[in-house]
Amino acid sequence: MAFEPKNEQKELKYEELRIYTDEELNNYTEEELKNFKFKHDVPDLDDLEKGPWPSFVSDAKQEALHRHKLADDRLMTAKDSVDDLMGALQLSFDDGETHWKHGGIVGVFGYGGGVIGRYSDVPEKFPGVTHFHTMRVNQTSSKFYDTDFLRSLADLWEYRGSGILNMHGSTGDIVFLGTTTDQLEPIFYDLTHELGVDLGGSGSNLRTPSCCVGKARCEYACIDTQDLCYEMTQFYQDELHRPMFPYKFKFKFDGCPNGCVASIARSDMSFIGTWRDDIRIDQEAVKAYIAGESAPNAGAHGGRDWGKFDIQKEVIDLCPTNCMCYEDGELKIDNSECTRCMHCINVMPKALRPGKDTGVTILCGAKAPILEGAQMATMIVPFMKAEAPYDNIKELIEKVWDWWMEEGKNRERLGELIQRFSLPRFLDIMELPPAPQMVKEPRSNPYIFWKEEDVKGGWNRDINDYRSRHKR
Amino acid sequence: MEDFKKAILEHAEGSKKTKFYFKDLEKAVKKTYPDAKSRMIKKAATELVNEGTLIYYSTGSSTMYGLKGRGITEDH
Ligand code: SF4
Ligand code: SF4
Repeated sequence: MAFEPKNEQKELKYEELRIYTDEELNNYTEEELKNFKFKHDVPDLDDLEKGPWPSFVSDAKQEALHRHKLADDRLMTAKDSVDDLMGALQLSFDDGETHWKHGGIVGVFGYGGGVIGRYSDVPEKFPGVTHFHTMRVNQTSSKFYDTDFLRSLADLWEYRGSGILNMHGSTGDIVFLGTTTDQLEPIFYDLTHELGVDLGGSGSNLRTPSCCVGKARCEYACIDTQDLCYEMTQFYQDELHRPMFPYKFKFKFDGCPNGCVASIARSDMSFIGTWRDDIRIDQEAVKAYIAGESAPNAGAHGGRDWGKFDIQKEVIDLCPTNCMCYEDGELKIDNSECTRCMHCINVMPKALRPGKDTGVTILCGAKAPILEGAQMATMIVPFMKAEAPYDNIKELIEKVWDWWMEEGKNRERLGELIQRFSLPRFLDIMELPPAPQMVKEPRSNPYIFWKEEDVKGGWNRDINDYRSRHKR
Repeated sequence: MEDFKKAILEHAEGSKKTKFYFKDLEKAVKKTYPDAKSRMIKKAATELVNEGTLIYYSTGSSTMYGLKGRGITEDH
């Protein structure tokens, strides 16, 4: 099926946007690269190239050589910024401390995020990185690009920045590493007016939302992650660009519990596609797996001979809730016990599929370990439908934000605030009933208590009436 | 809105600090206007930024507001 965009798409023509000629883009020989040395001595970085993995140092060498060989008027920033960047890194290795100063007032007009000021504290040694600001560019949903877009982006960044970029940062953005203050506005103009992309979030903002490949390529997707991610990015533009939160806030959207963007560990509010009806079973296809006609895990572990496929050992015995069995030539699943872990579906994708009544599970409070240690998200809403325009989801999001903005201290993440208040109080404030799905296993996280109004007769009892039935 | 902007500026100008969290500005406005909504206070702060009176200061992980020309400069 051909790609049919919902909104009109601007066609990007690299031929019209390009800055460099083919000769300029391929301006050094393999021989020159082999003999290339950075301007500074960087023994520890040279060492990094000797390991078994590709090293960023090798990439940096290519870029440094490429910049050296461009004509002076073909770059708007320092020609040897890559050399100086590597020199500064070596100095940090030598000294065991950083030589970067973070933060500042740099930004583009009207935006409170997307640019992170960075300055060298040894500019006399490394003038090429005196200013070396980072820019975050909002990636497309699922990170699909065409080559015209990537080439245009690369040309722009070569011309106005260091040429070094990171596809992608851990939040999801394309990260442009290093430019000077005077280049920020021209880059921003070209990104928004020519390339049709925006800056991403940084600081006390909503951070750039991100999602898995979802329905574009993955048959497991229970929700349209790309649509949901795009809608939330557009709908919450103000929160993305104009800081008002106590600290950062991240959304991520996984299409199914396989969690390819790891939303459960890496977002303050995690959305995971799921289903509430039954796993769809094709019994004939199950038999084909048992007979060895279909490769388990779609052949993903086919590099080695694991012996004959054993449905009992490889699927049924590994079901975490023991809710499957194979009887009389039929696979049976007790769906009321299934936790939607995806294991059986991953092993036998031709035979098993998620149900059809799909929606999202919503979890809150994951974060990296700055305070109190790393934390995984906690399940808050077991199931919610997820259909455009997602008003039900937006309502919950705004309720969470309102509470966090009201009660959160400066630099307190949502997960820390929930910890400080306790989960039962959080649920109360969100007006969500405690649900069995929130309990990891009986007696392991008993945070749900009866309230007086929920108990017949309240906390008071007639002691004489009680004693008439229970001897002391 | 104008009232909120005035309250924000009075707080910023009267303070020894040069950088303010949004919460500081919010508290200052709520002292005079206890029913003020956070979103409206943010809109007022955004307008002050757009007018060039306030500036954003970002460490990358969190964002603060400052008065233009006071305390923090581009090279901080
Ligand atoms: S999270 Fe699920 S739906 Fe999304 S890409 Fe991964 S397996 Fe597919
Ligand atoms: S999805 Fe997981 S819990 Fe559910 S039946 Fe399959 S293996 Fe068992």
